[in-house]
Amino acid sequence: MGLFDRAFISLRTCMKDLSDRHLLREIVHSGDLLPAWPQGGDRNLVLGSDVGIELGHPRDESLSFVLWSENSGDVKNGLVSLAGPDLGESGLKSLPFGKVVLLGGSGFNEENSCVRHRALESVRFDVDLNGYMLRAASVYQREWIRISREALRDGFSLAILGRALSEKFRQKDYIDAVEILFVTAGRQDVLSLKPVAAEVGRIAGAMGKMTEEMALDCEDCEYVDVCNEVAELKRMRDALRKQS
Amino acid sequence: MTDDRKSRTIAVCGKGGAGKTTVSALMVKNLAARGDLKILAVDADPAVGLATALRVPVRKTVDDIRNDLIGRLRNGERYDASDLPALLDYQVFEALTEGPGYAFLGIGRPETEGCFCRVNDLLRDVIATLAGNFDVVIIDGEAGVEQINRRVMEKVDDLVLVSDTSAKALQVAETIGHLSRDRGAVAFRQMGLVVNRVRQEKELESIRERISLRLLGWIPEDDLIRDYDFRGRSLLELPDASPALRVVAEVIERLGLEG
Repeated sequence: MGLFDRAFISLRTCMKDLSDRHLLREIVHSGDLLPAWPQGGDRNLVLGSDVGIELGHPRDESLSFVLWSENSGDVKNGLVSLAGPDLGESGLKSLPFGKVVLLGGSGFNEENSCVRHRALESVRFDVDLNGYMLRAASVYQREWIRISREALRDGFSLAILGRALSEKFRQKDYIDAVEILFVTAGRQDVLSLKPVAAEVGRIAGAMGKMTEEMALDCEDCEYVDVCNEVAELKRMRDALRKQS
Repeated sequence: MTDDRKSRTIAVCGKGGAGKTTVSALMVKNLAARGDLKILAVDADPAVGLATALRVPVRKTVDDIRNDLIGRLRNGERYDASDLPALLDYQVFEALTEGPGYAFLGIGRPETEGCFCRVNDLLRDVIATLAGNFDVVIIDGEAGVEQINRRVMEKVDDLVLVSDTSAKALQVAETIGHLSRDRGAVAFRQMGLVVNRVRQEKELESIRERISLRLLGWIPEDDLIRDYDFRGRSLLELPDASPALRVVAEVIERLGLEG
């Protein structure tokens, strides 16, 4: 299924812009050896007094989303890119935060795409790293991360986080490739991803509604525009209609 | 190294005006001062007294989060059921206010209309998960202990009932004890009574004869606390020599939370 084909193209355009402005760099490649990082255990809270650095605070810009493709060339497996400072580089206590997970997979169809997309949105909660705290709201496409002073001092980085995330996504048997983009450069750079995020969010919302509603009435549906634009959504809708 | 310490929950309940918020605030002060404990103070009293006693600004309560979500649902906004726990967790964490050595969460007013039990259950689960990250959770409750069960936590470790020397307040404490012990209003491991505003020690003899509850401690009438209340000063600023603070330290020790 090519649900996110257009989103992939738009995202690569954003990344090229970041690269042309010399903001984008590759921080992890497939096969790189990174230091092992201990797990955090049941307690993952980092209170304000313990914070070393905060990403995507509710009063700052934050954007996080996942998109997938069945075209193997769309995703550079194992790559983690960063536009902006890494955690120990900025000298600041708080940074705006953008995170995009690009996935290469197979076997997506009308019946499983929605369930798989939701499962992929939830993978981030499986990452358990000492000194790393995540709060995330998919409906807002926001993530709020706190890294403890101790973890920062011991060398925790977005490279470590990116690798840990990649490994979790690769545990899904329908995912073959994982690429991650982090953006910490500035609020406007995070916001530059918003049109892509909005499109991904609309497609995911349309999938969700199609999957859950017994009677598909397109006349009053808030997603009719995105369904008409994305050919794969139209095909999904038609297939689900035939089944009902 | 992973941190898998178990969390300890103390619910402080009693008739309004008997001094439970004072006891709760002094417990927060005592435990936070140790420096090695993560403390969560939960204000489950609709009067939001604990926030006032600690002089903590309350930006958002759990009730605000609940009402906002219900309003959105009523307006036709869709949410995937799988997204709701993480969304509520995000919002509850955002609603935390952090002070020196503790974090504070206000529950807010009781729900006004409709059941929306699923939202209540989700919020209660979120609060329980959040609380598990703290060493000690102190819940400033109210006379209706069922509110704690329904909106905050199903189980607590310690149920501390606070009464002044009035017959009415003592009766309320006994009733809460009975409802909890015999009717399961809230599950607990141990329960006890703190008597507040005692003017003469001999008052306690009469009280001991009238109540079935275990006496954890008694706090003498304290003009300094009255003064702090009157001026709106934070009880966290109470001097360490305060008799009330000393008694609360003893109560904490009797509950098995010695330093």
